[in-house]
Amino acid sequence: MSVSRRVLLQAAAVAGMGRGAFAAEAIKIGIPVALTGPVGGIGAQMRRACEFWAKQVNAKGGLLGRPIELIIEDTAANPATTVRKVQEMVERSGVRLITCIVASNEALAVVPKLAEWDTVFVSGDNGDGRLTAESLVPNFFRPNVSGPMGTRAVTLWLRDSPMKKFYGIGMDYAWGHNSMEVFEAEAKRAGKEFLGAVFSPIGTKDFSTYITRIRQSGADGCYLVLAGDDNVAFLTQAKQYRLGEKLQLLTEQVDEMGINASGDAAVGLIGGSRYPATLDNPANKVFVAAWQAEYGRLPQMFEGDQYQSCVVMQAGIEKAGSIEAAKLRAALEGLVVTSIKGPITMRACDHQAEQPGFVVRVVKKEGMEHPVPEVIAIYKADRITPPCNQMAYTD
Amino acid sequence: MAGRPLSTRGERLFHCSRTPRCGRPVSSESSAVMDILPFLLVQCLNALSQAALLFFLGVGLTLIFGIMRIVNFAHGTFYMFGAFLGYSAVRVTGSFWAGLVLGPMVAGGIGAAFELGLLRRLYKRDDSAFLMVTFGLTLVLGEIIRLVWGVNALQVEVPDALSGIVFLLDEPFPVYRLFLVASGAIVAVGIWQFLERTRLGLLIRATSQNAEMVHALGVDVNLVRSGIFGIGCGLAALGGVLAAPLLSASLGMAGNAIIDAFVIVIIGGMGSFPGSLLAAILVAFVQVFGTYYFPDFAMAAMYLLMLLVLVVRPGGLLGKEA
Repeated sequence: MSVSRRVLLQAAAVAGMGRGAFAAEAIKIGIPVALTGPVGGIGAQMRRACEFWAKQVNAKGGLLGRPIELIIEDTAANPATTVRKVQEMVERSGVRLITCIVASNEALAVVPKLAEWDTVFVSGDNGDGRLTAESLVPNFFRPNVSGPMGTRAVTLWLRDSPMKKFYGIGMDYAWGHNSMEVFEAEAKRAGKEFLGAVFSPIGTKDFSTYITRIRQSGADGCYLVLAGDDNVAFLTQAKQYRLGEKLQLLTEQVDEMGINASGDAAVGLIGGSRYPATLDNPANKVFVAAWQAEYGRLPQMFEGDQYQSCVVMQAGIEKAGSIEAAKLRAALEGLVVTSIKGPITMRACDHQAEQPGFVVRVVKKEGMEHPVPEVIAIYKADRITPPCNQMAYTD
Repeated sequence: MAGRPLSTRGERLFHCSRTPRCGRPVSSESSAVMDILPFLLVQCLNALSQAALLFFLGVGLTLIFGIMRIVNFAHGTFYMFGAFLGYSAVRVTGSFWAGLVLGPMVAGGIGAAFELGLLRRLYKRDDSAFLMVTFGLTLVLGEIIRLVWGVNALQVEVPDALSGIVFLLDEPFPVYRLFLVASGAIVAVGIWQFLERTRLGLLIRATSQNAEMVHALGVDVNLVRSGIFGIGCGLAALGGVLAAPLLSASLGMAGNAIIDAFVIVIIGGMGSFPGSLLAAILVAFVQVFGTYYFPDFAMAAMYLLMLLVLVVRPGGLLGKEA
């Protein structure tokens, strides 16, 4: 009788433990990502990085003993849709943590609501400088490189180049204007002449007139702040007009998706990179090897940057022991995480991660299907990260 | 850490091939800014090449409206479909020209089948039924394209024979854009001759004026309708294939294209073939020169033109007065 009772108790205990293990409530992370529209390709990269990270974490038993569940919604890069989708995630699914928003204007639309939702937003690629300056809110964190930081790397490199006169073309929305302003200020500080810039509406297909304008400007270099389909269309058409023979094309971000889609048109392009897969450090080697095993190719720029954001988020959650906004906020501020770009510091004063800047040149390599970005300069974090709460640099 | 210094002005910076003058020294300081004449020439050709693409879009829509009195909301999606079909045809056959034939044929066939299978059942209903059904087709076809070809923009290489540049008054201009201008002209003349000279063209014109009478004379009007819907969709797809090397095939194409197509049709006059040609040229010139001189109003220029036309001639430039 006593034996059977003990067995019964054991069985109950096992069942209880089992239930405990299975019932550990998942950590829900909202992924309001643009999968359609002109930046859908970037969104696909970012989503892939989130899924890759979640799979890695779940395979090791999850985070705080809880599995990670990604709640993915397509926003089509429409800020109003993004706000609505995040609101639904918060209210219906109980999401308290989001990442993976593609466009800066979406991010700018979401941040004012974060306090009301009691939700933390960890940016994966949002570049607009204002997010960590005038539009900064306590629940926003940016582990990725910002637009001004990308531009800064390129302009530091320009200081040593013989080019004198510059023109610019940017996408006609928050990120395009913001990065162009920083470029203009930085170019002037470097003693260069800034002849002007033109902004093309998002989704512009035919760039012939803009290309004529750029040719007409008489500049030695043209700075591009273009992404997604617009970037591909511009590079392709610039090649058709032999624009690269007239002046040097520079860009804030050299993105593999653009290079692969535009073929040889991108060869010769010089620009910033948020994450070159060829970085030589132990964490990156582990990441690249795992990525190649999963997808059979190198990780691309937005995949790397979003992955780093996920790792920072993970370190924050582990330190906080919770995803509660107040605890997570305190844990993330000042956190040092050694990830694929080496050690980076999540600055407490404006929630921007201090990290190095890379300048790359697109080259054709034997045995590679597509042209590849090759690192030509690396600048230290203190040269790249702007002063707290600012978008402009002082030196 | 400093980067390597760039090559200075005048040196060859990029790889290039195929053209005899490639790699020639880049202009000196004094001629850095283009002269007015070459500038005008290049801009006019830019405009004409855009006009050709707009014409392919607008003419199909206006033909369909002229005959069937329905507004085909799926027109932009057929244009996008054409671009993706062109991409696949080039991948499979290795020839751009095959894409130019296959793309419009497949898209036209699907368009005709859609008319036969669905639209035909709705002629007795009011106009909103057509809007709903063609809008539904937009969503379905768009989603199919996304599932089949994925979300990334796909680059179609310019065929070798057309990939060079020509120097017009010393300014480089892509041969492919000249080819676009020529194809626009050829198709315009072709459609005109088709409408004027062939029996089917005659039937189409007759049907657009009085379908019942044509039917009473023993002609299968339904067949004419299926044919014209297919031809319209095929023309949009032809535009898509031709646009692919310029703009690459991407999921964003359809939305822009349908708006452009509507603007062309409204400016030119609903159902007017010469109107769509005139409107395409007008819109392209306004866009090209508007974007150059007033880049901040690039988006608005086309709509301002449309407003102006609607105020002066509410039925469109060559349309019947509304």
